[in-house]
Amino acid sequence: MECVFGLVGNGFAIVVADSSAVHSILVHKSNEDKIMVLDSHKLIAASGEPGDRVQFTEYIQKNVALYQFRNGIPLTTAAAANFTRGELATALRKNPYSVNILLAGYDKETGPALYYIDYIATLHKLEKGAFGYGSYFSLSMMDRHYHSGMSVEEAIDLVDKCIMEIRSRLVVAPPNFVIKIVDKDGAREYAWRESVKDTPVPSA
Amino acid sequence: MKLDTTGLESFPSLLAPQSDVVGELSAAPSFDLPNSNDVSIQFDGFLKEAIQMVKPAKGTTTLAFIFKEGVMVAADSRASMGGYISSQSVKKIIEINPYMLGTMAGGAADCQFWHRNLGIKTSLLPSFCSSLLHLGIPWLFPYNFVIDIVAAAIVEKEQKKWCRLHELANKRRISVTGASKLLANILYSYRGMGLSVGTMIAGWDETGPGLYYVDSEGGRLKGTRFSVGSGSPYAYGVLDSGYRYDLSIEEAAELARRAIYHATFRDGASGGVASVYYVGPNGWKKLSGDDVGELHYHYYPVTPSTVEQEMVEATGA
Amino acid sequence: MSRRYDSRTTIFSPEGRLYQVEYAMEAIGNAGTAIGILSKDGVVLVGEKKVTSKLLQTSTSTEKMYKIDDHVACAVAGIMSDANILINTARVQAQRYAYAYQEPMPVEQLVQSLCDTKQGYTQFGGLRPFGVSFLFAGWDKNFGFQLYTSDPSGNYGGWKAAAIGANNQAAQSILKQDYKDDITREEAVQLALKVLSKTMDSTSLTSEKLELAEVLLSPSGKVKYQVCSPENLTKLLVKFGVTQPATETA
Repeated sequence: MECVFGLVGNGFAIVVADSSAVHSILVHKSNEDKIMVLDSHKLIAASGEPGDRVQFTEYIQKNVALYQFRNGIPLTTAAAANFTRGELATALRKNPYSVNILLAGYDKETGPALYYIDYIATLHKLEKGAFGYGSYFSLSMMDRHYHSGMSVEEAIDLVDKCIMEIRSRLVVAPPNFVIKIVDKDGAREYAWRESVKDTPVPSA
Repeated sequence: MKLDTTGLESFPSLLAPQSDVVGELSAAPSFDLPNSNDVSIQFDGFLKEAIQMVKPAKGTTTLAFIFKEGVMVAADSRASMGGYISSQSVKKIIEINPYMLGTMAGGAADCQFWHRNLGIKTSLLPSFCSSLLHLGIPWLFPYNFVIDIVAAAIVEKEQKKWCRLHELANKRRISVTGASKLLANILYSYRGMGLSVGTMIAGWDETGPGLYYVDSEGGRLKGTRFSVGSGSPYAYGVLDSGYRYDLSIEEAAELARRAIYHATFRDGASGGVASVYYVGPNGWKKLSGDDVGELHYHYYPVTPSTVEQEMVEATGA
Repeated sequence: MSRRYDSRTTIFSPEGRLYQVEYAMEAIGNAGTAIGILSKDGVVLVGEKKVTSKLLQTSTSTEKMYKIDDHVACAVAGIMSDANILINTARVQAQRYAYAYQEPMPVEQLVQSLCDTKQGYTQFGGLRPFGVSFLFAGWDKNFGFQLYTSDPSGNYGGWKAAAIGANNQAAQSILKQDYKDDITREEAVQLALKVLSKTMDSTSLTSEKLELAEVLLSPSGKVKYQVCSPENLTKLLVKFGVTQPATETA
């Protein structure tokens, strides 16, 4: 089942998500990238109903881009998180919506940040957070081993610990994970952790 | 001999008569289970939920995969309503344009059938759906199937229309990516209205072969290998074990056919004819359509069993 | 001839002009002057009060200066009733932005949103354009201290020093001569008062006829909007020697 988690380190933030597309008992795909690069210095990882997830994150991504085109300046991570929360809160009152979001970003003034927005549009600024069944394992793992000012190596080590714990203790553990990072140089994919290799989709 | 799948179907509210629920002795009616033969009601929560979740993909086996030469698409041809087989000759692979195919699972399977038989017009969907929804949720359940079929037919028609419009407007064929996103957006806009559609869009465009899975929850996945429908777990079993990227067209077609056959063998809601289509750089081509019954005897010919003992005329007194 | 083209705001004259908009700008030419100067540690706004009756009792201490949000203020020249409407929409926009993003609205965006409103009245039928020009002074984290002007057509621009209202041409040319790039806020106040003393029609500069407001950063790093009291203003006038020694004020 779905596992999304993230943490803030010294000058960077990391977001991890499983990459399984599951429908009841079937795994349709195990290399689905659930972390979207919002803009040059922002990552948005979402879990929840697949349709809502894609629709909502794309909507936010397009609005963040529109803001930048209109005003010539990018939104700060805090502003983007509050905007996302607001949009989710309004969408929620029109029809049922189910998306949980981890938003990570890096700003020149404030450095890295991680925001947690759950499906009922609660916003928190955190240094570590998680969603889904994986959160039961990754949260305790991060509570135990996280400390402020972690280096990238330490953080990846912790991320791997979390992934191993999920894989070994969660009944419906997803096999593969994608890790993305955002720091002063921008948002990018960091690595995949794959125990089952899907045939790669021929690139367009 | 067909498998009985009535346990997988559930229309609890309609099939359980109210009078049976509240008996004379039931002091705490809230703890009573409906006195029903419907097996699904007796299942525990998880199993019931699992069945509910598989339900949208009922009554079908469809599959598609990308390989070296293009995309192979295959499906069965059975339409069923619970245990009743309403048709054995449904076209579940829909030809969107000469380079693109769509598969239909769930209520979608019969879209062409209903489309021709009922002559439903595209514009009817919103009013049709909303009028049904206005009748209230309990009423929705028995009509679910009908809505699915009508919706699938209309969604399919919309899809075809949009793809054609795209061709006219842009002087080039729509990409598989674009067509699947279009379909996903149409379905997403009807989300929560009781649709159940699970479809694959397969084709060849400027970027080469393309394959997407799209469902009525708005989910859309790009991939190389998909199977949809109640028979899909069985099909996946055969497909995953036999799949390689560098299959020849013949091998791929055989793999697809066998996967459908084995799914129809185990899944009672799938059956009829196993159709196999291939999409290559020059468009799609139907490769075969075999009665799965005949396929069975083709794959597993009846071998005359050796007679261990023969009855002989009693002799003597 | 031109009479046929000035009855509506939305019709171009054969020469390609929108007369109603031009008349609106004309109206502003009669209003009290307002001068804005950008300095390295703040923005200074100075305005000339026109209404100075002894009997007048106003609720606000300022007549031409308005705070729009914690980090933006504006000076007005033109029809005050029109200005009130626009100031209100600007305040709403600023709060709306803060509501959506939980951070202060960038100054230029605020100016732009207001100018979009103004522009609408030069294009969509039957209405009169707003007869108001603004000076916006503000601070945001992207571009620091900023000064903008806007006119009834919906045009806006960012300036180091600008003047609107009566005699703005003359004021502008003095500013052009005397403005230095690394001017301090105190020097900016002095310059603004000097410009005003030269361009104002009245013979002497007194605190009753003047308004002075500043947008600056407090030592704690927070943006502050500060209105100068009449007493302090009198002291400043004397200090900078732009007033006749206290003959009238005494």
